[in-house]
Amino acid sequence: MSNLIAIFFGMALVNNLVLVKFLGLCPFFGVSKKLGSAFSMGVAVLLVIVVASAVTWPIFHFLLIPYGAEFMRTVIFVLVIASLVQIIEMTIKRTNLTLYNALGIYLPLITTNCAVLGITFINIDQAYTFSESIIAALGAGAGFTLVLIIMSGIRERLDMADPPLAFKGTPIAFITAMFLGLCFLAFRGIIR
Amino acid sequence: MSAQTMISVGLLTLVGFVAGTVIFLASKFLPKEDKSLEEVARIKEFLPGADCGACGYPGCFAYAQAVAKDQQVFVNRPCPTLAPDEEGMRRLEDYLGLKANNKVGRKAVVHCTGESEALADYRGINTCQGAAQVASGHKECPYGCLGLGDCVAVCPPGAISINNKRKIAIIDWETCIGCGLCVSACPQNLIELMPANMPQYLGCNYQAARDIVGRNRCPDGCIHCKICVKVSQEGEVSWDEIKDLPAFDKECCLTATAAIEKCPRHIIKKTAAYRGDVSHP
Repeated sequence: MSNLIAIFFGMALVNNLVLVKFLGLCPFFGVSKKLGSAFSMGVAVLLVIVVASAVTWPIFHFLLIPYGAEFMRTVIFVLVIASLVQIIEMTIKRTNLTLYNALGIYLPLITTNCAVLGITFINIDQAYTFSESIIAALGAGAGFTLVLIIMSGIRERLDMADPPLAFKGTPIAFITAMFLGLCFLAFRGIIR
Repeated sequence: MSAQTMISVGLLTLVGFVAGTVIFLASKFLPKEDKSLEEVARIKEFLPGADCGACGYPGCFAYAQAVAKDQQVFVNRPCPTLAPDEEGMRRLEDYLGLKANNKVGRKAVVHCTGESEALADYRGINTCQGAAQVASGHKECPYGCLGLGDCVAVCPPGAISINNKRKIAIIDWETCIGCGLCVSACPQNLIELMPANMPQYLGCNYQAARDIVGRNRCPDGCIHCKICVKVSQEGEVSWDEIKDLPAFDKECCLTATAAIEKCPRHIIKKTAAYRGDVSHP
């Protein structure tokens, strides 16, 4: 149990997807301008990451390993995740229109998001068990959402500020991201 | 071919096939999309797509949904942004097979001419919202336009510009869609939505009438002489006792020609809808 908690916080804070592993940077800058959309994107990523981990883990361990085809994991995972997002989008669209309107644009964006693929690889590389990889995915998604919300909060304030003209917009956001990354570096000491 | 190649090809084919089958099954057995959704999408095609919220619904999609559900919504409350556009309005009416009421759109006016001098040099956060926090703004008139463009930033069609000399927001009625976003953006509550056929508006918002000093704060300030009310013949100008400023007839939008001429401060301004002396031939 303590192992699972360590994995959750390790993934959420210490090995944060965006700031430490540099995965999913495009939504980090693309969707972090408004708090509302950042939250929607974070939740959508959380959902997809968990489902993708739950699906790819058995495929790797019960299909690829027995046939000695571990080298094929990239192409197989990409295939599986792409079709998975399609199914999730279809399901949400037909069952809950309100949720679809809230997440709508972000779900297709996630299909090509490296963060989702990255987490499934990390799960395999760290030799996590099934439950461990689900927790790891939850932690990674939570960490991603957290950073997106923090960043959007900062950027909403940044719009008010009056930086030198050359720094206006994305440059100042990059610099802010750098400081945010430095802050998250401080989590290094908590869990080895 | 080696066994490994065979296995790889076989595995990829298998996974691809399974994934394809699952998608097919999902599309087949999941509950079908709402039929009304297609209708909503078609109605939305006719709407301006500014998502301004002037209709009272959160965005064009929600409005299209409401119209698809109950067409009376369109009859009683046609999209205010589309309303002035005859061509677009006709197309939507033809599609729904209905005639809409209340087709007069709304336009925004700024109740200020910006003639008030700057009292101090403001260097804080560069928005009206920020400037208004500091002693009612940096202009001598505490009710006036601050000219930092909060309204410009929210205007979906970009109808508002700032006159840099006078530091005043100017709304172009040709482009204004009457969504009212600027009304809520203005910290001075200077902007008001008018019926699009309103021929004049008051270029002042100075409300503290009995404040004698206030009269001198702005060369264009209302001095509350009520001449406009005295010269009005059909009640086109009345006196708003709460604001202590003249108010114009909003129902049938009478033209107050006499008041425009007689106002000693010349702050009853003609709008783009002014058509000369229509009401008193």
